[in-house]
Amino acid sequence: MSQDSLILEKRLFSLFIFLVLIGAVFVASQWTLRASIIVLLLGGVGIVLAIFQLVSEFKSTSESPPAPAGIAFETPQVKSDSRWGNLEIWSWILGFYVGILLVGFLIAVPLFVLVYSKIYGAGWPVSLGLSLFCWGFVYGIFDQLMHVPWPRAFLFSFF
Amino acid sequence: MLEAALDGFLGILTLESFGWMTLGLLLGSAVGFLPGIGGPSTLAIMLPFVMTMKDPYAVIALLVGFDAVGNTASAFTSILISVPGGAGSQATILDGYPLAKQGQAARALSASFMASLLGGLIGPVVLLASLPFLRPLVLSFGSPEFFVMCLWGITMVGVLSGNAPIRGLLAGILGVLIATVGLDPKSGVPRFVFDQTYLWEGINLVLVALGMFAVPEMIDLASRKSTIAESQEFGEGFMEGIKDCFRHWWLLVRASAVGLWVGFLPGLGSSVADWFAYAHAVQTEKNPEKFGKGDIRGVIAPEAANNSKEAGDYIPTLAFGIPGGTSTALILVAFTAVGIQPGPDMLTSQLNLTFAVIWTLTISNIIAVALCMALARPLAKACFVPFYTLVPPILVFVFIGAFAANFSSYDLITLLFFSFLGFLLRRYGWPRPPLILGLVLGAKMELYLWLSVARFGMEWLLRPGVVALLVLVAASFAFPIWKERLEKKRALAA
Repeated sequence: MSQDSLILEKRLFSLFIFLVLIGAVFVASQWTLRASIIVLLLGGVGIVLAIFQLVSEFKSTSESPPAPAGIAFETPQVKSDSRWGNLEIWSWILGFYVGILLVGFLIAVPLFVLVYSKIYGAGWPVSLGLSLFCWGFVYGIFDQLMHVPWPRAFLFSFF
Repeated sequence: MLEAALDGFLGILTLESFGWMTLGLLLGSAVGFLPGIGGPSTLAIMLPFVMTMKDPYAVIALLVGFDAVGNTASAFTSILISVPGGAGSQATILDGYPLAKQGQAARALSASFMASLLGGLIGPVVLLASLPFLRPLVLSFGSPEFFVMCLWGITMVGVLSGNAPIRGLLAGILGVLIATVGLDPKSGVPRFVFDQTYLWEGINLVLVALGMFAVPEMIDLASRKSTIAESQEFGEGFMEGIKDCFRHWWLLVRASAVGLWVGFLPGLGSSVADWFAYAHAVQTEKNPEKFGKGDIRGVIAPEAANNSKEAGDYIPTLAFGIPGGTSTALILVAFTAVGIQPGPDMLTSQLNLTFAVIWTLTISNIIAVALCMALARPLAKACFVPFYTLVPPILVFVFIGAFAANFSSYDLITLLFFSFLGFLLRRYGWPRPPLILGLVLGAKMELYLWLSVARFGMEWLLRPGVVALLVLVAASFAFPIWKERLEKKRALAA
């Protein structure tokens, strides 16, 4: 993935945040002062800051000098070249969500754990053990102990 | 005060609380030991379960016990495989890994555990000593001062996390705005609910925390699919490492003081404490050229600092209700849910609970270090756990934890929304801790601001305490930006 496309993505994201703040302040301006005071105050400050952020990002180019070397205060951001890896895990996450909707937690959980761990190289004993552990956790604590009202699984709504 | 100290001690030592503390410190050690799982992510997963607990001592024992020990076990992977188990042990790699390569992993590990223990004991002592000074200060504050204190907390976290001051502040502001979603408790105005009754009660912080931290960490771990380089042998010199800590006791005390100060300032997390302490050691110790090549002082300083920092974190959290970092922000949410109200009460009517925190910090550190020392050799062999055994169970815990927030299917959609937002923030270099802090403090800030305006009109801005704190806010905001510009100019000139 090129540096230019990452810069474009960053600018679009900053623009999105700017628009969100504008929208929030506009909507809040129609409420009573009691309800809107914090949104108007901090949203207003946010709009000014977002303009600064946008200007600085549109001024910077891929040839701009690198950010000053300092102490990393957070874990490093996801590498820009790991887009496919990101898409892959996002597919798994969304697949798990769809699985929960279709067959419910109690079936989707062991299925997801088994398939994921098996596909990425775990042996059968590890995959089955993990699946059983996760299913046991969900079934034992949530179903049997807490009597959680599970959402109705889509596929089972026909029966 | 003695009575409160005794109450706190006995409260923590009941069978139930002690059991929870043991669970907390085992979990904290496991999380510190396993690279790729962060303390905040695990705390976010624990929140829905903890919030159903009733006993405040049990909650303190579990969460503070968990929080206090994460940095101790994280030294294993830093020293043996050059991968930090947690954010607080990054600097330990610089000298710990070279020591391991020289066959002195045992010495580096024992020095790191002993430094962690002593740093972890110095922290609570200072927290205890600060109580008499904090009490009059906190009691003199009114709603205007508390509002500006919250503003200062968000400004500090915003400008100091991520080397991106403006983005950090914007993230903090977004957090406050997210906190306003739902029906306004006083006027009943529906705010940002988009005609969805699900949003009337606001957005559950657990969902935001899970989405912001747990899911992006898992995405990162799964995307990297990394295999770790060769693990080093355990080696000899276990007792030597313990003696090293006493040989360099003055460095250990100074590094602990650095950690405490970093913890006290909102926004500077574990990942800063270890680097600051390491830098301090390099700048002030004799023969600085030895650092980075396997100097035991390069292990002692960061490990003492990252543990003492945990106690420093609790000073603003307990006294002002302003969390020192992401973990304490999440712990604050759990505290509030079970009726522990950080703020002036923690120094007066709930002083016993403050002492319970101090005792938990102390006891859990001692137990965690004893466990690490006793199990050092077998744990060193089990340092690497492949990603495919971690990612699916943790995603299961995340989803089930999210569903447990309100037992609603919409919770899962909210989780996915904030996961994507957290992923984008991380991808584009926007710090996430300020957003969580903004969300935690949002409701309080709104109340304090409204009370200030309603009681004092615009004159609240002229109160001496407010003016002093506003100067602090302005300085906290302006200084990093000025420094960043100066460094950019220097880089351009070079």
